[in-house]
Amino acid sequence: MDHGVVDLSRLQFALTALYHFQFVPLTLGMTFLLAAMETVYVITGKQIYKDMTQFWGKLFGINFAIGVATGLTMEFEFGTNWSMYSHFMGDVFGAPLAIEGMMAFFLESTFVGLMFFGWNRLSRGGHLAVTYLVALGSNLSALWILVANGFMQDPVGATFNPDTMRMEFTNFAALVFSEDAQAKFVHTSIAGFVTGAMFVMGISAYYMLRKQHREFAARSFRMAALFGVISSLAVVTLGDALGRLDYLVQPTKLAAMEGIWHTTTPPSAPWTAFAIPDDVAQKNYAEINIPYVLGPLVAHSFTTAVPGIIDLEQKAKVDTVNGIKAVMALHQYSEDKDPAALATFRQYEQTMGYGFLAQRYAPDQDLSKLTADNLPAVLDRTARETIPNVFVEFWGFRLMVACGFAFVVVFALGAYYSLRNKLETQRWLLRASMWAIPLPIIACEYGWIVAENGRQPWTVYGWLPTYMSASSHTVGYMIFSLIGFVLLYSAFIAAELYLMFKFARLGPTEHAAPKPVEGAGPATFSRPGYAEKSWQ
Amino acid sequence: MTRLLQLIGLAAVLALSLLFAVVAGDYAPWYFAWIVGTVMIVLIATCGAVLFETQETSRADGRDAGF
Repeated sequence: MDHGVVDLSRLQFALTALYHFQFVPLTLGMTFLLAAMETVYVITGKQIYKDMTQFWGKLFGINFAIGVATGLTMEFEFGTNWSMYSHFMGDVFGAPLAIEGMMAFFLESTFVGLMFFGWNRLSRGGHLAVTYLVALGSNLSALWILVANGFMQDPVGATFNPDTMRMEFTNFAALVFSEDAQAKFVHTSIAGFVTGAMFVMGISAYYMLRKQHREFAARSFRMAALFGVISSLAVVTLGDALGRLDYLVQPTKLAAMEGIWHTTTPPSAPWTAFAIPDDVAQKNYAEINIPYVLGPLVAHSFTTAVPGIIDLEQKAKVDTVNGIKAVMALHQYSEDKDPAALATFRQYEQTMGYGFLAQRYAPDQDLSKLTADNLPAVLDRTARETIPNVFVEFWGFRLMVACGFAFVVVFALGAYYSLRNKLETQRWLLRASMWAIPLPIIACEYGWIVAENGRQPWTVYGWLPTYMSASSHTVGYMIFSLIGFVLLYSAFIAAELYLMFKFARLGPTEHAAPKPVEGAGPATFSRPGYAEKSWQ
Repeated sequence: MTRLLQLIGLAAVLALSLLFAVVAGDYAPWYFAWIVGTVMIVLIATCGAVLFETQETSRADGRDAGF
């Protein structure tokens, strides 16, 4: 396998995933926010909430269309660029991916059409149900992708079949209810809520700063701020749950996230707030530590030690020795179906991935050529390989967390001043809300970088190394398709930004003042077009 | 009679929800948290808007519209 092709395949998938995920969180969050706005419209009958749903729905629609277009290619990439992965994991990975496709195209897309074009064709209650189904469909669609990703992080519900050389399903429920899939879905979905809330709050703040559409903006800001303040608190809580899960099932990821080189000594183990990790020297520079925080934060315990990278490397060496035995037994079994070889394989099966990993560094990538002389060097290189890039993991995690806490503050202040009806006097807060619009998307990107960089060097943690998962393309082909993707997706981003800025600046449609109704009381709103509907 | 039937219906929904919570709490605690949390987030945003209208009405009537 050409390692240049593997790196280019990784780069291509990372870029397409990161491009795609600029659109996804907004879709996940905006749908439920639209549903909340329409709920108020149905409850109160006030036209302004219908206008809000339609205006923010238009911006959601732009984002949704481009998000779908960028997501389609990724499903094909599994087959084109990751054929070994697709062969090895297809039995497990294919089912949630297929269900995701069904959710996205049959549930979500069908109801999106009804949501946009059904205003005059459906009853108020019927349209509201459709909007909720769009919200549910988009989030359930994300659920299945995250179930598939959960398997890559914590492979449960499947076993390796040495006769077919594939992972095969044993328990679908274990896959769906895997703790990783659950926590990741909720964390990702709620991060989308934060993104949607910040988007609506930021654009509303822009109108308020310019003193445009003030009644529309004040209501939108209020709803988004309250939606966001609870969501941002939830996303921080779920982040903690995911961190603890990483401690339990992906200790190398957790150690890299926290920059822990040596196993900690409870209870005084410090949490490193700032450091410059050096992957080569395996130490941190310029550390700022807070004692007694790491144990409760990561393990939810003052008495539990958190394993460090150097100790995890030593454990990986033991796993690699066993993994080499498993892979060699597997080779023998595939050639002569020897029951003794199968028994040896079953004994060391759980470490098979480490044997595959060691194969990369064996002479001619042949484990049978390992000798007492060259084995220690292979073990050293394999053990080093099991640790993800610590600098990227450490800082990706911190930037994401910093953004998360900043969102809590911005939403809490926004909600507070909105509830006090003093929002327009706090221009600094309106400016901060406006400039914070892209931050949740950036935080989501950091989240994915932490999740997927931390999974390295595996595509399926502990079972299948990334270097074995790619297709056997040429470097030229990969560069050509990579350039194509970058150009196409950059065009999508440019189109999205152009349309978003255009329609956000245009703002909601102004309504002509209705003729006053004789004998009617004073309108609730100063803008006549936003008065209560006549059927009320 | 209608009120009684509504009460029985709501009680049945409550009992089913509790049963669902017990089962989901064992097998899918985070999925359950998402369902409850999402409903709560939507309700709080909705209540915020309804409160806004109340505040606007109070302001129009010349009463204190602060929270």
